[in-house]
Amino acid sequence: MSNSIRNGLRAGIIFGIVIIFLFLIGFTLIAPELISKLYQGSEQTKDFNIGLLLPNLVIFMGLLGIWAGITGAKEDEPDTWAKAIVAGLTTGLTTGLLVGITAFIVGTLYQNEVDIRDYLVSLSNENIILFLFNQNALTGALYQFGLMTITSVIGGILAIGVGRASWRKNLAEKIGDSVRQTASMPKVAGTINSKYTRFALLAIIIVISFALPQQWGSYWNYVMGTVGIYVLLGIGLNIIIGWAGQLVLGYVAFFAIGAYTFALLTSPEPHHLEWNFWFAIVLAILAATLSGVLLGLPILSLRGDYLAIVTLGFGEIVRIMIKSDMMTGITNGPRGLRDVGGPTLFGQDFSTDINFMYLIIIAVLLTTFLAYRLQNSRTGRGWIAIREDDTVAQATGVNTFRSKLLSLALGAAIAGLAGALFASRNQFTGPEDHALMVSINVLCIVIVGGMGSIPGMFLGAFVLKGVPEMLREVEIYRLLVFGALLVVMMIIRPEGLWPLQRPRIEKYDEHQKQIPG
Amino acid sequence: MSENSSPQSSKIRISPGQIARLSAGIAVIAWMAWRLYTVLFVEAIYGIDTWTRFAISGLILGGMYALIAIGYTLVYGIMFMINFAHGEVMMIGAFGGYFVFEALRNIPMPTPEDPKLSFLNAQPLLSVLLAFLVGMTIAAIAGYYLERIAYRPLRQAPRLILLITAIGASIFLQNAAMLMFGPQRQTVYNPVLLTRGTGWEIPMGKSVVMLTYTGTFSFVLSILLLIILYLVVQQTRLGRSMRAVAHDKDTAALMGVDVNDTVSKTFIISGLLAGAAGVMWGIHNGLVNHFTGFLPGIKAFTAAVLGGIGNIPGAMLGGLFLGVVEAMGPAALGIDFQLKDVIAFSILVLVLIFRPQGILGEALSEEKL
Repeated sequence: MSNSIRNGLRAGIIFGIVIIFLFLIGFTLIAPELISKLYQGSEQTKDFNIGLLLPNLVIFMGLLGIWAGITGAKEDEPDTWAKAIVAGLTTGLTTGLLVGITAFIVGTLYQNEVDIRDYLVSLSNENIILFLFNQNALTGALYQFGLMTITSVIGGILAIGVGRASWRKNLAEKIGDSVRQTASMPKVAGTINSKYTRFALLAIIIVISFALPQQWGSYWNYVMGTVGIYVLLGIGLNIIIGWAGQLVLGYVAFFAIGAYTFALLTSPEPHHLEWNFWFAIVLAILAATLSGVLLGLPILSLRGDYLAIVTLGFGEIVRIMIKSDMMTGITNGPRGLRDVGGPTLFGQDFSTDINFMYLIIIAVLLTTFLAYRLQNSRTGRGWIAIREDDTVAQATGVNTFRSKLLSLALGAAIAGLAGALFASRNQFTGPEDHALMVSINVLCIVIVGGMGSIPGMFLGAFVLKGVPEMLREVEIYRLLVFGALLVVMMIIRPEGLWPLQRPRIEKYDEHQKQIPG
Repeated sequence: MSENSSPQSSKIRISPGQIARLSAGIAVIAWMAWRLYTVLFVEAIYGIDTWTRFAISGLILGGMYALIAIGYTLVYGIMFMINFAHGEVMMIGAFGGYFVFEALRNIPMPTPEDPKLSFLNAQPLLSVLLAFLVGMTIAAIAGYYLERIAYRPLRQAPRLILLITAIGASIFLQNAAMLMFGPQRQTVYNPVLLTRGTGWEIPMGKSVVMLTYTGTFSFVLSILLLIILYLVVQQTRLGRSMRAVAHDKDTAALMGVDVNDTVSKTFIISGLLAGAAGVMWGIHNGLVNHFTGFLPGIKAFTAAVLGGIGNIPGAMLGGLFLGVVEAMGPAALGIDFQLKDVIAFSILVLVLIFRPQGILGEALSEEKL
């Protein structure tokens, strides 16, 4: 029993702090809006409608409370009602107390017309009113307290099932085993791995990707175009980090160099060049590659984390230089470059959003093809050897320095291509398009997608760039979630959402299972 | 692979990377020497008073860098990871100090002479002490939980994974602060005693050099804290266990050192120092926002590398050196003051090329390399 109380207390404190944090960052206002969007479609009113949001807040807080209750109770696999209820109740009381006290303090301050927003910007009037259930401070706090307690007890009772749910785990394992067995049957494996199946799949993907842009509106073309550009960046950085294992944090520098080379060559403003799109894009790629080689030559033999910090510095240097007064004559400084040229085809303008989508799709397909060809080539295997162990790779005859340099140059080239496409599509590029956050975004795509895995880059780019574009309300929380996601992924699933197949095959090797001990 | 196929050749082989690094480094140093010569002797724009001013502001900045750099060096020595979120720990400390000042400013303490007197100005010493106490404590708590939540589950993981986790934690803390406290910069209101821009005026050359109260206070306090830290690491039982764990984790554990406990305490000490640096940052520079910790964090890491990572006196020296270089560099090379961050990073690259072990040498155990 004392065990249940201790677990309940711990879960209660954690959940209490999390809920207070969500309140302080204003998520308790956004979440009910999102929920109401779920079942009422996109027809939303801009103004604050407390009657509409209240039930949704109750749902949101209730779910959190139930989750807290389950967490508090499941630790010692409760088999009796009493144990489960005690654990759930302790959790609920602790959470409720923390949340209630916060609600009371904030509510009292609000009623005495203290301007809390001077210090805590997310505590808008709407947020506070909603959090207090449109009551006065004391009643609202008591409501919160009651809600958390009741839902946590419900969660605790639900946790009784958890102990008995071990058969579910067994079932999942059995299904996994049978799937693995089926997949290794010669006939099935033959079909899956056969050339024709792959060609058929490829054909389907190509047909779909060329049919879709005609159907989507310009909004979807814009969103998916951004995703496509980030797929390119993901594949490029994946070559450097995922395969060669070199942590480069200044990837945005190559993106910026590509974008600026392209923009300077095609924009009318500072230099009146207005060159041909295709010629400019080739030069942009070359410039990015060259910068990759020039950066790589001096620094690639540095130790892993030094490399990270030096490249991070390089990314910042490029941005600061572009912005600085010294370079304003060349790069237009902080104002950026306008009217960047669009693509032309045989003298015809080719820059509608559908055409641009095609261009991006072609770039993505080409890059993907290149990456797949590289993955299993001698070079690709060399990279993976370097990633696993630099010294051993060198001993087995991989020219490590040249390999690393090649990976950096290739990654930079792809980033240059992406940068040029990005500048051309937006018809603008400025120094703030190339902030450190782009590097971090791409790093997130590589990590979340699965280091080394090409399909993972598609998934990662879609999840991290596409989904937030669709959920505009949560835009401000995107980076917060990215940060949390990086930490959680590294702890729970470091191999990513769609991991590279190679290590898995080795892990589940039949021979290893038979070794005793 | 043809050029690598003669294993018996005992001649020293110079790789293209080394050539590139050497030539790039020599070119940069030659350029720097030329600029320095031009600025100092040919153009001679600045008099001795201006140089002193730059040096003073550099030393003040350097003291703060040194405090943060200690955190990087201690953690790097023990876990061999760049604690990327350390700058954010400093930012948390800065916010702690800011909120204490704000709270005390709003407590009225009227006296017959001055009816509008607040606690902040009635008890300036106590207020500053309280700000440091709160800022350092909050930062230490943040550091402790950072390690417990994000790094401890990954004790055996490869270094790349730890580094990515640290980057994630840094982004998370930064954005959490932005969402809570807002993106705009908050002005820190010091006690009147420490008003920014006031200080002792020392006549020098053609004009006077101002030695500000806030700057002097920050510098003296950082030196004091650095001395205390050095004594703790060298003289106490905790310091001995920290050094033991940094030297060899497994053997230290066999000798009865609680490794997890030592790592936690290391993070707490790093957090205390970073928190102190954060409060100083607020007092001296006067502006605090969620981004406050980011650049000082990276610079401080640079300082730690400069001095030789894992080496505590090295981090102190590196911090002071970097601060001075950053303050005097743009003027000495006659370039734009916007480019002072570029100078800091260039110094890092140069040091890594010519003396990767840092000025005073690394203090890391062999197995980690």
